[in-house]
Amino acid sequence: MKSGVSLLVLASLLISQYVQAASLVVYSGRKDKFIKPVVAEFTKETGIKVLLHSGSSTSLLNKLKLEGSNSKADLFISNDAGNLEKGKEMNLFSPVSDSVAASIPQKLRASDNSWIGLSARARVLVKNTNDKSVEFVNSVFDLADPRLKGKLGITHSGNESYIAGVTVYMESMGKEKTSKWLAGMKANIDGKVFNKHSKIVKAVATGKRSVGLVNHYYIYRHLKKNPKAPIKIVLPDQGKNDIGVAWNVAGVAITKESKNKKDAERFIAFVTSEKGQSLFAKVNSEYPAREGVAAAPEVPKAGSYKVAPVAMPVLGQKRNATLDLIEAVGMP
Amino acid sequence: MTSSLNTPAVTLEKIKTRAPSMRGFLALLVVLIAAIPLLFVLFSSGKLSLEQWTNLWSNRLPELLGNTLSLAVLVAIGSMFLGVSAAWWITRRDFAYRRLAIWLMVLPLTIPTYVFAHIYTIMLEQDGWLGQLWLFLFPGTSIPEIFNIFGVTLVLVLAGFSYVFLLVRDALSRSQQDVEEAARIHGATPWQVFWRVNLPMLRPAIAAGIALVVLHVLSDFGAVSMLRYQTFTLSIYLQMSSRFDYQAAAGLSLVLVTLSLTFMVLERFFRNRQRYYGSGQSKKITAQKATLFETIAIWLWLGLIATFAFLLPLAWMISWSWQAWQQDLIDTEFWGYVGNSFTVSALAATLTVIAALPVALYHARERSAVSQGFLYLSNVGFVLPGPVIALGILSFVIATMPAIYGGMTVLALAMMVRFLPLSIQAQESAIQQLTPSIEQAARSLGANWYENLRRVILPILKGGMATAWVLVFIDTLKELPATLLLRPTGFDTLPVRIWIEASEEMLELAAPAALMLVLGTMPVLWILMKSSKPN
Repeated sequence: MKSGVSLLVLASLLISQYVQAASLVVYSGRKDKFIKPVVAEFTKETGIKVLLHSGSSTSLLNKLKLEGSNSKADLFISNDAGNLEKGKEMNLFSPVSDSVAASIPQKLRASDNSWIGLSARARVLVKNTNDKSVEFVNSVFDLADPRLKGKLGITHSGNESYIAGVTVYMESMGKEKTSKWLAGMKANIDGKVFNKHSKIVKAVATGKRSVGLVNHYYIYRHLKKNPKAPIKIVLPDQGKNDIGVAWNVAGVAITKESKNKKDAERFIAFVTSEKGQSLFAKVNSEYPAREGVAAAPEVPKAGSYKVAPVAMPVLGQKRNATLDLIEAVGMP
Repeated sequence: MTSSLNTPAVTLEKIKTRAPSMRGFLALLVVLIAAIPLLFVLFSSGKLSLEQWTNLWSNRLPELLGNTLSLAVLVAIGSMFLGVSAAWWITRRDFAYRRLAIWLMVLPLTIPTYVFAHIYTIMLEQDGWLGQLWLFLFPGTSIPEIFNIFGVTLVLVLAGFSYVFLLVRDALSRSQQDVEEAARIHGATPWQVFWRVNLPMLRPAIAAGIALVVLHVLSDFGAVSMLRYQTFTLSIYLQMSSRFDYQAAAGLSLVLVTLSLTFMVLERFFRNRQRYYGSGQSKKITAQKATLFETIAIWLWLGLIATFAFLLPLAWMISWSWQAWQQDLIDTEFWGYVGNSFTVSALAATLTVIAALPVALYHARERSAVSQGFLYLSNVGFVLPGPVIALGILSFVIATMPAIYGGMTVLALAMMVRFLPLSIQAQESAIQQLTPSIEQAARSLGANWYENLRRVILPILKGGMATAWVLVFIDTLKELPATLLLRPTGFDTLPVRIWIEASEEMLELAAPAALMLVLGTMPVLWILMKSSKPN
């Protein structure tokens, strides 16, 4: 028993030291391999140490909310504007100063700068180039066409990007049409949803599926490994009366309870700088949020196509309504 | 008021009988801590309006009940089939490498359900090991899908049948031969003996094994969330995480608790009615020498189970770990995760074993309704899903003692709540050997309470405590959902890393972590097997 007690003391000592060694604590919902190079560069430039606490954006936001004033987090990074706006609604963030926020376009950040967008992704279609039967698909709404039975790949409805996409379509086309669209897709997937976007791309590349709804960078990630894969990107809904491509942003916020807001703001200043933006977005073939910073060369140029005019904060404001709609249709 | 003033004698006597009950007080303390998540669930679901309840009731419950119950039934049947058949052959036939066979049937316990789910998902892909094999054997067909009830059943059976195996093997090796001989003399075929004599006598062990398996199914988080199968636990998790709706999550938890409790009471009821008492003189079963044909048949069957439940996953882990090793991905950070995992598991195991002691001792002494009630309450960890336990503990700690929040203490506390029932069960039988007379003898010889504890009680309980420690250690090492929420900032354990790497599809990084879990559990499993060797 004695050894148990001393173990306890020793362990808590170890842990407290562990935490003190870092001066900025980042709750990160972004993949480790994408955020680590950015953090390393920041520490190199400023000498400020960073402790990464990784997880899924949604559960980290829960943690932040539950912890309240006891949270040790200084920054929250999410892959989804829905989560960021939700955090703002729950009053968990502290606005970033205007001078730092100004480098990011107004439409890619919260109205009061509670969170700042860092990189954008587009919801696009991936098609198998050998399958001529899916050539007619040029809009996400075509995915409900009965001709696609057994040929469509989508993720399960717990996926943040998927939910955000549905929010955009619901805002643009109304609940009724979106609900019909979901029901049509449900009939086309033959009871099978994918748990990862990358697997949809793989299924389309190998001919198991003919068309899928994914974030654009998954296509390039697959092509990097398999340059000859018979897949292509299709930017949907580009017609004159069409809604355009749905966008979503990954972003960052300073927590309300941060004891180190100055350094936290320095971190944001770094990731929104030209260098930081390039680092943050390019590792994942995303669009840098800052204007004038080029995306990876293979990606369709931002501004060269039509984007759905839905403001990013809406993705959080309308999330529960979207979840209700998805549940009512019974999407798996 | 007046009555207590008028009867000082009674009060004194009451105090007297309660005075030695330091352990009663300690037991109460432990049980109160264990009940925190349950109180949280009751409190939060109490805030649900009638309308919210009806909403939950009509929208979510029918589907969830159907999904959860059908999964539980399928997993119970599957585990029973694998566990009983393996235990039967291993206790009744003496064949080559029998010890190895026993090990192979227990080793799957070292692999957590989410690792099983992850590995089988990958292996069943078109370019995975099993996917390729399938396409080679059945060209032109499509590879079976794992994202459905059968896939989840497969994973949970492979991960859980060992519990049935262990309990049934124990019962079989203690069962007696005369009843079987009597049946044979009366002309029963071996098959009839199995169905009409052995099986009924094994019912308590099978029931206990299945109870364990079903409780694991009800509270499983890892496999169902990886395979997206909507059970109560997954739905509760989604409710609280994607909608920040802790009240609805609590409401669903309450239904789940009721379900689990009903199940536990039923199981206890049937077990009590089915007790078989053998006479002291009857002959113990001895294993028959297996014929060559039998040996081959047995090894084909056990080999098939072992391949899917352990060897194949192990081979997969080793192969990808080798890749990671070659790419120099196993760095100091990785060993940090290993260190974290083992530290928190050792801490939690120690804490849980100590905490279980007063509850078990108190019940062994008192045998009262109160002590029984304590025992029931300490089962909270078994009936509530991990995410809810974590949520309850977190809310409580932040509301009452925020100073300890963020350290490992809170995590260890949650593990204690989760695994307290395991620890109590493992210690209960040892405690029953500790009759009051032994203690009284020690006291009358002048031992004070400390000496009594150190020189009498602890030596008798040592075996049970060791088993409990090992069981809690293994389960904490594998624990995922509560660790995800409650770990100190930046404190990653092996399960957390497996979770993160698996969701990022970094196979090279998930595999070594899973392999370390298996390797780390083996020595403690060995201790457990040593101490529970039948005969």
